[in-house]
Amino acid sequence: MSVADLSELIDQGIKAYLAGRVKDALAAFQRALELDPGNAKARGYIVRIHAITPATVAPVAPSPAAVPLPSPGAPGAVTLPPPGTRAVVRLPAPGVAGASSAGRAATAPSARSRPPPEGEEYDPSPWDEGPSATGTLVLDSAGGLDLDAVAEKSDIRPLVPEGGRGPAPLPARSDVEVWLGAAKELFALGDFTGSLELIEKVLQVDPDHGEAREYLTQNEATLVSMYESKLGPPYAVPRLAIKPEEVMWLNLDHRAGFLLAQIDGMVDYEALFALSGLPRLDTARILANLIADGVITS
Amino acid sequence: MSDLDPVIGIDLGTTNSVVATVRDGVPVVIPNRAGQLLTPSIVAIAKNGKRLVGALAKRQAITNAESTVYAAKRLIGRRWGSKEVEDARRALPYALVPGPEGNDVRVQLGGRALAISEISAMVLAELRADAEAWFGRPVRRAVITVPAYFNDGQRQSTKDAGLIAGLEVLRIINEPTSAALAYGFGKQMEKKVVVFDLGGGTFDVSILDIGKSVYDVVAVGGDTYLGGEDFDRRVMDWLTFTFAKENGGIDLRQDKMALQRLRDGAEKAKCELSGSTAASIHLPFLVGGGDGKSALHLAKQLAREKLEELTKDLIDRCVAVTERTLKDAGVRAVQVGEVILVGGMTRMPRVQHAVRELFGKEPCKGVHPDEVVALGAAIQGHALTAPQPKGQEVLLLDVTPQNLGLMVVGGYFSTVIPKNTTVPTSQTHLFTTVQDNQTQVRIAVLQGESERAIDNELLGEFILDGIRPARRGEVSIEVSFDISADGIVGVSARDVVTGQEQSITVTATSGLTEEELRRILDEQRDDLLERKQSERDLGERRGQVLAIVREIEELVPAVTGALERTRFGKDAIQKAEGVLARVRAAVAAGDQAALQAEEESLERTLQLFKGLAATGRPPGR
Repeated sequence: MSVADLSELIDQGIKAYLAGRVKDALAAFQRALELDPGNAKARGYIVRIHAITPATVAPVAPSPAAVPLPSPGAPGAVTLPPPGTRAVVRLPAPGVAGASSAGRAATAPSARSRPPPEGEEYDPSPWDEGPSATGTLVLDSAGGLDLDAVAEKSDIRPLVPEGGRGPAPLPARSDVEVWLGAAKELFALGDFTGSLELIEKVLQVDPDHGEAREYLTQNEATLVSMYESKLGPPYAVPRLAIKPEEVMWLNLDHRAGFLLAQIDGMVDYEALFALSGLPRLDTARILANLIADGVITS
Repeated sequence: MSDLDPVIGIDLGTTNSVVATVRDGVPVVIPNRAGQLLTPSIVAIAKNGKRLVGALAKRQAITNAESTVYAAKRLIGRRWGSKEVEDARRALPYALVPGPEGNDVRVQLGGRALAISEISAMVLAELRADAEAWFGRPVRRAVITVPAYFNDGQRQSTKDAGLIAGLEVLRIINEPTSAALAYGFGKQMEKKVVVFDLGGGTFDVSILDIGKSVYDVVAVGGDTYLGGEDFDRRVMDWLTFTFAKENGGIDLRQDKMALQRLRDGAEKAKCELSGSTAASIHLPFLVGGGDGKSALHLAKQLAREKLEELTKDLIDRCVAVTERTLKDAGVRAVQVGEVILVGGMTRMPRVQHAVRELFGKEPCKGVHPDEVVALGAAIQGHALTAPQPKGQEVLLLDVTPQNLGLMVVGGYFSTVIPKNTTVPTSQTHLFTTVQDNQTQVRIAVLQGESERAIDNELLGEFILDGIRPARRGEVSIEVSFDISADGIVGVSARDVVTGQEQSITVTATSGLTEEELRRILDEQRDDLLERKQSERDLGERRGQVLAIVREIEELVPAVTGALERTRFGKDAIQKAEGVLARVRAAVAAGDQAALQAEEESLERTLQLFKGLAATGRPPGR
């Protein structure tokens, strides 16, 4: 497995998801899980896709390693165990208290979050019983889920009772709520770029959305510090790491071209941020990419 | 203050400024902290809120045009509503507003309305800081140059700018005089000298009569909107046109980033062509290809002949202005003893050729045209502060820069004190009434060169009433002008028969009120105190931060051990090293803001390391 392939699949999935091509997105995330069964980002997206689009997406048979296992009461994020303990993967569950709003957007809500239609009763569900009595699922020594353990411990029954009884459809949640929920979830998963893309979509529709603005600020600040950490000290002076005549053979956009043209061996990073005229995040991202690609060096 | 304190000469230009000094008897240009001899006279508030002065401000001047102030010299000391200000308002991308009293000009920058003197002060302060870095000690005294046509108000504004920048301005001298000083003219020669000054934004021609250490600027001409930037623009237009032709009509002028790079590339090529016959312009990834296509490159060769073809009319304009100035002064080209070239554009071979053809002689090229004015100012500064060998003194007297006089009937200007009169001075003229039984007259005091009163600068006015009723022309009114050694002009008008008298005192002002100037200077002092306090704070913060850095470094072995036993957090050490590197750089640079920004990361790293070290410790320890 190549890290680049995995990352490419995740990117493809996110792009497809954002473009509304949910089937493609799901397929990409599932291929990603085949490559890396423990991949939290792919799992997070699959859970969210199932949660928000059950009516429009034909169920995709999950790969053995990618069974979306609702773990009652689990937070919607992957928590890393302290060093020296066995890894425990907690998966976000739709409709579970403490899960993200994207999870709450499920059209098959938990009994706790939505009562059944009048005159109808659901079979009791373990979801009604609070935190799971079953033990957490553990990773086997070679990494990945121990599928046998999963099969043994799982006592989850279908959410939709047999016999055609089902909850009345929820009124469709607005796109803004869905995007915001998904953005929060991505933020929690550490996918700040994905989260930012969704937040920007929210703000395009509702520029005054306070919570979205807060997430925008947090996402940007986090991304800026991530990119800046790759640059080195703000007063370091970047230099071209390739021959000037080789610049033409790179694959850059005109903004990167502009920034690269400002790098003359005299201007430090702080000055580049000032004279770029671009938002700090964009400048930091472009510079970090130029460093990663070996075009410039500090 | 000792006489050994350094003195600097500053050429505060419209486009670029230069600072020089005399060291061991030799005039030298002081490079700025980036190693350049020229500092663009540009001030900006960048989009990230940072104040930029000089080359960095220039490099974002197009992409951040609304918050970049250039050519402030065109506005200094000008009155709101004057023709020059109206022209500037049409040409400049930044916002101009009237001052609080409605008579001077302010620039809207970074949410504040700044006086032009404050903008110029930022440039002067930058030059001062460059000089201090070069000398390694404080610099407090300077001679600053201004165009010969500057009036008292413009000179006073320039002085105020120096004051705001923390400089004692020993003297304001004329740019052409300064250039002549740099060539050592005036010591043993008596001749007419023409100073041909083609700078970045303006073109000035001055004719000087030099003899026995007297520098008399007898005529001044020019074009305030003709300079090197016009030459750059021609190259830019040519590049834009050919690029559009070759790339399906893509107009580079629509993209600010492309335009900024185009201007930088055009200027660079133009300068190269002064020394070679062809220049390459390579601007990779200049503009987006449109419809998701890759960014496009610009790669062009510009030949010197092509540049000359593109700018022929601009050079012709320079020649025409020079001929007109000579004609107005009644001087024939053959009478001119020397021609001094000033300004970077005069390095263009075609310009030198035009000057040579016009005057029939080789222009002086011994001193670099970019540096000559600043070097002359440094020489004058040195002459004012260091004892000169007997017989070699160069002493410039304070003279009136322009004619002083009154508005008379028909809207004409009547000179009372001609320009270049040494101050202090006093002159009296007789005037009379124009109407029968006229009992009052309006005395409008003006300064300028034009015969039409309206084209000159109004310094002040008053009404003299109680005049004896009489037929027109029978009343004699005596008007006296007094200029003190401090440049304060007193004007009085008296009815000779009745003795009825009125007077006015005019002090050159920069538009800044006394109160404003005091406030700005107080702010400078506050800034200084704040800097000192911040240095103390920095010392304390540095100590605290370095203690945390040491603690983290001590935890590294334990954390490394703990990380070896897990698949997770392998990059923790690497990330921590990044944080430590940034902190060390901030400590080394004395950057308090950077230290503050890193404090949280540093604290988080320490907590994480403590946690990791604790989990990695064997049980029982």
